[in-house]
Amino acid sequence: MKDQAANVLAALGGVANIIEIEPCTTGLRSEVRDPSLVDVPALRAAGAHGVMISGHVVQVVVGPSVDTLATDLEELM
Amino acid sequence: MRHPVLKHMRVRDYLRSLVTHELAVGDAIPSERLLCERFGVSRMTVRQAVDALVVDGLLERVQGRGTFVAPTKMDLEVRLSSFGEEMRRRGMEPSSRVLVAEEVPASPEIADVLELLPGELVFYLDRVRYADGETMAVEQTWLPSRLAPGLFEGGAPDSIYGELRRRGLDPDWGEDTVSATEVDAQDAELLGVPTGRAVLRLTRRTFAGEIACTYSRSSYRADRYVLWVPLRAPRRVLTPREDAERMSDDGAQTETPRVGDEGRAMKTSGSGHS
Repeated sequence: MKDQAANVLAALGGVANIIEIEPCTTGLRSEVRDPSLVDVPALRAAGAHGVMISGHVVQVVVGPSVDTLATDLEELM
Repeated sequence: MRHPVLKHMRVRDYLRSLVTHELAVGDAIPSERLLCERFGVSRMTVRQAVDALVVDGLLERVQGRGTFVAPTKMDLEVRLSSFGEEMRRRGMEPSSRVLVAEEVPASPEIADVLELLPGELVFYLDRVRYADGETMAVEQTWLPSRLAPGLFEGGAPDSIYGELRRRGLDPDWGEDTVSATEVDAQDAELLGVPTGRAVLRLTRRTFAGEIACTYSRSSYRADRYVLWVPLRAPRRVLTPREDAERMSDDGAQTETPRVGDEGRAMKTSGSGHS
């Protein structure tokens, strides 16, 4: 599980690329500084069921496990 | 200029209270002539009042027959239950007409949303959905064949969720996207509404744990449904810790105020939620 958080964070371009991450019901809504650093295949490989990028906002669909993921992410950030 | 406005509103309020307290669905409202006499207003004023209530969905005009109390719309809460379950919960009897039930190779798009390889087999089901015999929606559903081998043996099943549960897969989460569009000629015919009427287009993916179970696209009659969405304040946002450190020893330092500043602004507003 911790691995998943680390992989997601890396695929979002690392902590330095994160402005904020908002845990939602079935996914993460994150705002990044540079969307070009976001690695969609890596997010999918980390267990994302969908990735939508719109401007600086990246939505990552992960399902109800988002709660644990968010807790792990908080530790890493 | 004040008077006509007031008159129009008086007629409208009168009709609104008739609909709420005295008339039943399908009842005709009093004729224009009667309303003109009762309120001492012109036909124009009466029509204006009726128009407003038609737009609100309280009344419906039937060509050549008159104006009637419109059927109440169903509140459609987007949640993970099947069409049949939703209708039964409302005391209505669901039924379906199956247009297509076949096993086909997944197109690249379907493969992507169901997390398959293109060409893997999927079950495809195209149905018209009814509640108490009235058309409600048209729905196309795809699901991976390997999740439910032999699904169509003995005909298309009544409930896909039911069949999945029988096989130990209980869809427990998913996502919907909803948009409003005008119904195309084909769906209009299936739904029995004029072409160009408004429909709610729902696309849905469901999952059982990490397994993508179904993908569906439906068109719901907008005259039968309102979408009901429960709300909740956003959860506390996560922000990089180093941001906070930078902010505390920021002082009057000469850091270029670019995207970083935006980040701090977000953080401040975000932490207010907790």
